[in-house]
Amino acid sequence: MSETVAADLVLLDQPFTAPGVRIAIAPAMMRYALRARDPAVLSAVIGRVLPSRIGDVVDGIACLGPDEWLALLPAGTVLENETGQLVSVVDVSCRAVGITVEGPGAVALVATGCPLDVERMAVGRATRTVFETVEIVLWRKAVDAFHIDVWRSFAPWLGAALVAGSPS
Amino acid sequence: MLLIHCPYCEEDRPEVEFVNGGQAHIARPADPSSESDADWEKYLYIRRNPRGRHHERWRHIHGCGRFFNAVRDTVSDRFETTYKAGEPAK
Ligand SMILES: [Zn+2]
Repeated sequence: MSETVAADLVLLDQPFTAPGVRIAIAPAMMRYALRARDPAVLSAVIGRVLPSRIGDVVDGIACLGPDEWLALLPAGTVLENETGQLVSVVDVSCRAVGITVEGPGAVALVATGCPLDVERMAVGRATRTVFETVEIVLWRKAVDAFHIDVWRSFAPWLGAALVAGSPS
Repeated sequence: MLLIHCPYCEEDRPEVEFVNGGQAHIARPADPSSESDADWEKYLYIRRNPRGRHHERWRHIHGCGRFFNAVRDTVSDRFETTYKAGEPAK
């Protein structure tokens, strides 16, 4: 009997499809970890609107906590970060991998490992949570489309777990 | 699944997103070097461990990341209330 251990897993090299779901690695993107006591100062520094309610997303910037945002932006987007202001704008683009889960079976598939009430999560909201024991940022981009941001070293496992959880 | 209300996220969230941070409302002495050994030991190690209503710290570690306080019944595991760090004990 062969046994697969986590160290042997590799990142999905091409999209995986099963009845009702499609799982794929998202294109490379820019990621910024944003922190600030005063959102107005941070907003002025980066020249963008920041969502104020935890879980809301505005133009790719998700509010994860009272003083914390994660920007998921198209590749090549650069945020200003050298202003001497008391804010933190850190490029963490390579820290995570995006995995997209799409299709009418997407909600059920995400719910195989995520303890949130995924069905009731409003479209357009994003939050840090877990999938099984792995921390993720879950962003519901449409009724049947999710972007899952996961730290790079966990991505092969998460991809395999999503494939394993797909309907056959 | 036990749901815990995060006062920052303003949502009921699954227990696995949280970690317990021990007894709440323990103030660090302002001038530790003037404390007697007995008082310092009390601050560091002595906890109430009640049967029933308990004020404790929790952290929404896999969510907003914030510490907050909760009143939990240690017998039934029921959360009576949760409130933001810095607010007076409920
Ligand atoms: Zn929270």
